[in-house]
Amino acid sequence: MKIAILSGKGGTGKTTLSVNLFSCLKKATLIDTDVEEPNSHLFLKGTTYHDEIVYKKYPVVNHDLCTLCGKCGDFCNFNAIIPAKKKVLVFDDLCHDCGGCRLVCPTNAISYKDKKIGNIYYQSIEENKQFLYGKLTVGEISGVKIIEHLKNITKKEEILLIDSPPGTSCSTVAAIEGADYCIIAAEPTPFGLSDMRMVVELLREEKVNYGVVVNKSNLGNNDIYEYLEKEGIELLESIEFREEFARIIARGELLVDHSDYVKDKMKNIIKKVLGDTYA
Amino acid sequence: MKIAICASDNNPESLVADRFARADYFAVYNSEDLQFSFFDNPAKKEGSGAGGKAAKILGDLDIEVVLVPELGPKAIDALNAFEIKSFQYKQGETVRAALYSYFEKKLPEMLDASVKGKH
Repeated sequence: MKIAILSGKGGTGKTTLSVNLFSCLKKATLIDTDVEEPNSHLFLKGTTYHDEIVYKKYPVVNHDLCTLCGKCGDFCNFNAIIPAKKKVLVFDDLCHDCGGCRLVCPTNAISYKDKKIGNIYYQSIEENKQFLYGKLTVGEISGVKIIEHLKNITKKEEILLIDSPPGTSCSTVAAIEGADYCIIAAEPTPFGLSDMRMVVELLREEKVNYGVVVNKSNLGNNDIYEYLEKEGIELLESIEFREEFARIIARGELLVDHSDYVKDKMKNIIKKVLGDTYA
Repeated sequence: MKIAICASDNNPESLVADRFARADYFAVYNSEDLQFSFFDNPAKKEGSGAGGKAAKILGDLDIEVVLVPELGPKAIDALNAFEIKSFQYKQGETVRAALYSYFEKKLPEMLDASVKGKH
């Protein structure tokens, strides 16, 4: 079973939820797909035993074959390839590696070269527990390729947790694609609710089952609870904010190592999502 | 010769734009018939690579010189590839005034990017 944890808004507790749920499972794999700013590894403190480079391809134009017909430039949505007066300009950092320019080129003038866009780090945390995270090179335009790679490596895992990026754009869609269930980490604030609505819209479109965990449940207002009830969305758990929790997280430690309250909450979420046998 | 000016509106008395590729309009002055014409700038809506796209739009309009506020590294590469020279105007003047400054050779030619790229 593949479970993605996402939120829309940043800072609602995706990573906190991911690493603490992961710690409560006996056998599981966690991937941190927030490749622009991965953080899960800071809580898990494993040692990297394998490091893989992820490449993307970008077009190279053979100007002996190119007729400057302009079809590649018309096709590219990201202005990464622009036929000019005497040559074709390629902006490799804008290229999303879709392969379209080569397909539309009538003279086969386009080939592709590899460019490093990031890394994937493999860590074993304890017996039967594996953790992988990706890291996008600073300045690169899209981490989707790294996310897809992470998911491909872990596609056969029995229990896979996916710590997803914030937002609802391409990288989030890539992170949740193929998930059997999504947990929305929400917070009861106007910003939290506003961003969560976009996530709900995304998940309805993707036709994935999902439930909500409200973090910092004793802060903010009641709008989120009213919204969940009105929309018929399952509230898996609500977890209080306590100063003690903020202190534990600020030290880079796991809440479940210090708080039975949080541990019970995690077990309850696991029970609801995965069933009794995993809790 | 056709000269393009980045414009915030579609007449010669409108202010020059504060962005190159995301200007609302391109004013085009044709030195042969002494007429202005104005073009919407579809590049302003691009998520990425607006500089390259704007250069292509100007290239397709047979522009030889463009008057700009600033240029990023991709924009200047693209303008070079379309063999379009660029000159930097001062903010806050009108399209017509920027053009006169160009004819009076008061505008410096841009040979390098004046601002850093975002990617």
